[in-house]
Parts: sequence; structure tokens; C-alpha cells
Amino acid sequence: MAKPKSDPESSLPLTPAVFHVLLVLAGGERHGYAIMQEVAASTDGQIKMGPGTLYGTIKRLLEAQLIEESDERPDPHLDDDRRRYYRLTGVGEQVVRAEARRYAEIVELARDKKLIRKPA
Amino acid sequence: MVKIFNNRTLAISQKVYGWLLRAYPPSHREKYGPAMAQLFRDQCRDAWSKSRNRGVTKLWLRVLPDLVKTSFIERLAALTKRKSMTDKMTALMQPRTVFLKVFAVVFLLILCATVAITFILPESYASTARIKVEPDEPAAATGISPGYDPYFIQTQFVIMQTQIVLDSVIDKLNLNVLWGKKYAAGNTLTTNESLEILKGRISLAPVRNTKLVSITVYSDDPGEAAQIANAIAEAYKDYRVKLATGLAVVNLSRLEQEFGNNEKQIERIRIELNALRQQVKIGNEISDNPPPQEQSYWDKKQYLDGLLEAHKTLYAKLEAAKLEAQIPKTVLVVITDPAVPGHAPVRPNKTLNIALGIVGGIFLASIAGGISVLIALKFRKRIGKTTAIV
Repeated sequence: MAKPKSDPESSLPLTPAVFHVLLVLAGGERHGYAIMQEVAASTDGQIKMGPGTLYGTIKRLLEAQLIEESDERPDPHLDDDRRRYYRLTGVGEQVVRAEARRYAEIVELARDKKLIRKPA
Repeated sequence: MVKIFNNRTLAISQKVYGWLLRAYPPSHREKYGPAMAQLFRDQCRDAWSKSRNRGVTKLWLRVLPDLVKTSFIERLAALTKRKSMTDKMTALMQPRTVFLKVFAVVFLLILCATVAITFILPESYASTARIKVEPDEPAAATGISPGYDPYFIQTQFVIMQTQIVLDSVIDKLNLNVLWGKKYAAGNTLTTNESLEILKGRISLAPVRNTKLVSITVYSDDPGEAAQIANAIAEAYKDYRVKLATGLAVVNLSRLEQEFGNNEKQIERIRIELNALRQQVKIGNEISDNPPPQEQSYWDKKQYLDGLLEAHKTLYAKLEAAKLEAQIPKTVLVVITDPAVPGHAPVRPNKTLNIALGIVGGIFLASIAGGISVLIALKFRKRIGKTTAIV
């Protein structure tokens, strides 16, 4: 994951941690703690990232240029101004979309095999 | 707004985590160390708010494996970036070097974590009150003994932990307010909440081959532990005394009522006999063969004699019951050794914990070292192949 690849499909499949971080950032820029909390909340606490896993993932995503650090800082009165904020890059957005499509296809396949039901 | 928590547990945790960040390569530490430390601080704060020390301990148990795994990955990643990587890695990937390094890191991590957790865990003091417990006495009036009950002590243990006994302890020591200040940021606890906390701190045990029972209470305050242990002993004693006194009073009132009814019946039969005597004109002399018209009189007389005999027995029982009701029942429970505040904490057992940390550390570090050697050997093979192609 050193340089962004022209074809987002070539970055797939993503690891669950990477996919969840990208999914959270698809909702807008977040700092590390907010990412960790949202991932835990969206997975009902099944994925609880430690600081090592989270910042290791962030480091790789930054290197792969799927995310970038945001220069904008919120009002320091509302938040700790030492926090670093991250957001998706254009390539990152393509990759997360491609991964979501891949998951959707897998879900469709599972439905065809009657492994899961269609939502009511 | 960022809240500042002046808490010893959080301060130690953050300090230890800051030190453990040295496991990461310097470049990673420089770039992400402060953010990781801040994230850990936030997690610590959340864990503390949710369930105090237990929450922080759980967090540590989650964070440590994460730290070991990711620091190893980052170290490997840092190595791959270096120039003349092949040579350095081949040198670094010597099985013995890898084993020793991983062993040292994992062992130190586990030992540090054990020491940190041991010192973070709140100290707990134990105080024990000993009481002598007697089974209920046989009722003097009936003379019926309850007999040997093999479950007597177990039953008394359950009674000691019931609301009847513990509620009065909570009230007497004002634990709802006291523990509310300690554990609920000043909000008064409900009696049920205090009861749950209290039950978790009591340990009851019989003293072998005696009628003694030990009531041990654990608390972070030695004085509080002793007070609670003594209050439980007192509350249990009160309960047993009240119960026995109540039973004696009920028994006495039942006997008095029976005695009164008996007296009335005797009086009625006496009147009937006098009337019969005048009617049939019976003299004072008793003949062996009374005429038939006197037969009903003599039958009734015999019945009265029987009643008077039973009345005498009833009177004796009544007197015994009166005596029993007057005797204090304090002998049922005697507090032989009141609890005194402990001098040294009993939990955590620091020596044992650190010894377990050393043993566990050696075991887990050996496993981690073994796995690392396998990975290193695979790595060396791969590097060898790459070099051959180049």
C-alpha cells in the first residue's frame, strides 16, 4: 500500500480494520478517538481497536494515500486542538466504494444460496 | 471540553503506557506516539467512568496484546525500509537473536503489566468477627427438642446474608450515604445497591470442630471492614434473640389461654357435681357398690379428678414457660471475638501476583519467542529467494 493504485479494485480485499476505518471516514473527517468509538459502536463492540492497531492502520492508509490529514482544526474551545483529524482522499473514497460493492455482491450471493434472508 | 482526571490509577496507567510505547520503532513513535498516548488516555477515562478499576484493568488486558502485536509488526515494517535491508535482516533474523529479543520484550511487558495492575488494584483489608452460634433451645413448655439439624450452620449463613440482617447493618452504619460518596459521586445509593456491594464483601466460614463462625468483611478502609463485621454479628444476634423471645411469648400466651379454659371447665363441672349431689342426696362416704341413681355422679367425679390432674401438669408447664420468657436469649449467639481493623492489606497479594507474573511471563515469552523464530525462519527463506533472483 505504498502508492495509490489507478485501479481501486487492485487494493481489494481490505482487512476488516481498514474497511471500518474507511467507512467511518466516509461520514466526514474524524480524529483517532472518534474513529475508534464509531467503529466499536457500528460493530456492536465486536471490533475494539487498541491504539496500536488504529494508528498502524492510519499509518498504512496515509502511506497508501487513501486518507490524508486535515489541515482544518475545529474550534479549540469545542475540542482538544492537539488532536489530528483525518479524511478520505478521492482514491480512498473509490476504494471504500469498491469494497462496499464487493461486500454487497457477496451478500447477494449468500442470499441466492439462501444462507441469509432478504430484509423485510 | 477536555476533562482532567486527577486519579492515581489513570496517572499510573498513562505513565506505564507512555513507557511501553518504546516497544515501537523510533520513527513510528515520533509520529504517532503522542496521538496513541492521547487515545489511550481517552480510553482510560472512559473505562474509569464506566467501572472504575475493573474497567481500567479490562482495558489493559485488551491494550497489551494489541501493543505486543503491533509493535512487532511496526518493527518488522521499519526493518524493511532500511537500506542494505537484506544483510541487516539476515543478521537480525538469526533465530537465537530473534528468540532472545522477543522473549525479553514479551517477558518485560508481562512483568510490567503485572506489576502495574498489582499496584493499580485497590488495596483491600479484611476484618473478622467470631461468634458462637447455638441452635434454638427446646421449648420448656413442650419439652420438644428441635433435634440435630445437619444444615443448621448453612441455614444460619444464609440468614446472615439476608435482607433482614444486612438491611439493619446498612441502616446502622449509614452505608447508603457513605458508599454513595465513595462509589456514586456523592449520590445516595439505594438499599438494594448497598446490599449488593455488601454481599460481595462478606465471607462466612465455620471454625472447624467448634460452634464458632467467622464473619470476614473486606474493604479498602480497615476501620470500615471491622465496623461492618461487628455490625453483622450484632444484627444477627439481635435477629436470633428477637425470634426466640417472640416464640417464647407466643407459647406463654397459648398456655395461659389453655389454662384459663381448663379452669372454667373445672368450675362448671364442680357446679354440676354439687347440684347432682344435692339432687341424689349423696353422703360423704364412698361405697364400693353405689346404687344405680348415683352412677352418673361418680362418673362425673372421676372425670373431674382427671381434669384436675391435667390442670396440675398444665400449671407446671405454664410456670416453666413464664420462666423461659423471662430468661434472656443472648446465649443463642455470643460474640466471642469482635473484629478489629487489619494492619496490612490482604488483597492484592503483591508477592504472589509478581511471582505469577514472572512464571506466566516466562511461559508466554517462550511461546512468543518460538513463534517469532518460526516467522524469522520463513522470512530468511523468502529473503534468500529474493536475493537469488536479483
